[in-house]
Amino acid sequence: MSPSTSGFSALIVGFALTCGCAAAPVPQAKVVSSAAAIRTAQELRADETPTSQLRLQYAKDEYAQAQRLIADGDSEKAELWLARAEADAELAVALAKQARSERAAAAAQAELRNVNAK
Amino acid sequence: MFMKSLRILAALTFPALAGCAAALPPQELLNAREAFSRASSSPAARYNPADLAAARQALDRAELAFADDPGDSKTRDLAYLAEVKSLTAEARGRNVENEQAHDTAEAQYKAMAGSKLDAKNAALANDAARIQATGMALIAEQHRRSDVEKRLHDAMSRLTALAMVKEEPRGTVITILGNVLFASDKSELLAGAAERLNAVADALVAEPERSVTIFGFTDSKGDFSYNQSLSERRAEAVRAYLISRGAKADQLKAIGKGPAEPVADNQTAEGRANNRRVEIVIAPAKESSDFYSP
Repeated sequence: MSPSTSGFSALIVGFALTCGCAAAPVPQAKVVSSAAAIRTAQELRADETPTSQLRLQYAKDEYAQAQRLIADGDSEKAELWLARAEADAELAVALAKQARSERAAAAAQAELRNVNAK
Repeated sequence: MFMKSLRILAALTFPALAGCAAALPPQELLNAREAFSRASSSPAARYNPADLAAARQALDRAELAFADDPGDSKTRDLAYLAEVKSLTAEARGRNVENEQAHDTAEAQYKAMAGSKLDAKNAALANDAARIQATGMALIAEQHRRSDVEKRLHDAMSRLTALAMVKEEPRGTVITILGNVLFASDKSELLAGAAERLNAVADALVAEPERSVTIFGFTDSKGDFSYNQSLSERRAEAVRAYLISRGAKADQLKAIGKGPAEPVADNQTAEGRANNRRVEIVIAPAKESSDFYSP
């Protein structure tokens, strides 16, 4: 290792340490995937049924809370709230789909009973 | 002595109490455990075990955080995540189950609707066959009718060559001169009568519904009551012959008219010959209730 490279390495390590001490920033990917989950839930009409609508609302609130924590520099907590927002958005989608498939199955079964009764 | 034992008791009890208080899991963790347990026994175990595994992992992290530091607020956040993931796993499993129930019902519906349709088609084919059979029967009946018509027509045209046939309001009147049928003063049919009467019989057999009256007439020569009786016997002889040729007995009536209703001058031999006659009157066909009337 040449003296110049070792000096450069020390500079990088020092920079990294200072950054870490100030606040390890929330990985942008986590923010993006959390926001994307909420957008997906909205696009899949997760506000259609009361239970999924509630979860979507939670997700939005949690995402807003995460943004506040990021602004306050509390990255560790912000990451947790981003995860909560993402999980709630996914639950909203799953609940909406479940309600939809339940209605479709009930309709198909009613149709079957109808044709059997004829 | 008492105080000492009390102190020992306190020393034993306090840490236990403290331990209990510290070990009390937050509501979020209780919720997460319950949600995961419910998800584990839901269709998710069968349809989407990966989601269930993710929930399990989240619950493990929450349990670990709780064991590590029961008072840490991180436990509650992780437990909340575990609960939401458990609920998601369960919802996704139920969604798959619903979709399968839907597909099954739809397949059964299609199969059932198909078989109902088949039954309906079979019924339609049956109807068509019945209609065709009815049509064929109708055509057969028409053929039979026109056969009858033809036989009647044939008989009539044969008769027209052999006897006088007239259409009158009382019906078809066939007049056969007496000297063709009977010898003088006799009521036994001559051999030559057969040809003419056979043609009449054929016409009557073809038209069993029409009633027939056979009138016997004489000329005015001789005793009235003798002539009357002769005309009756002659009419009866014709009737008996027609019945022997297949005409129905209840279709035929024989009436002797004697010298009544002459058609020609009784003063001349030719006129008298014309008055000695037999008239066979076939009444007009009654209105038929059948679907086919000629």
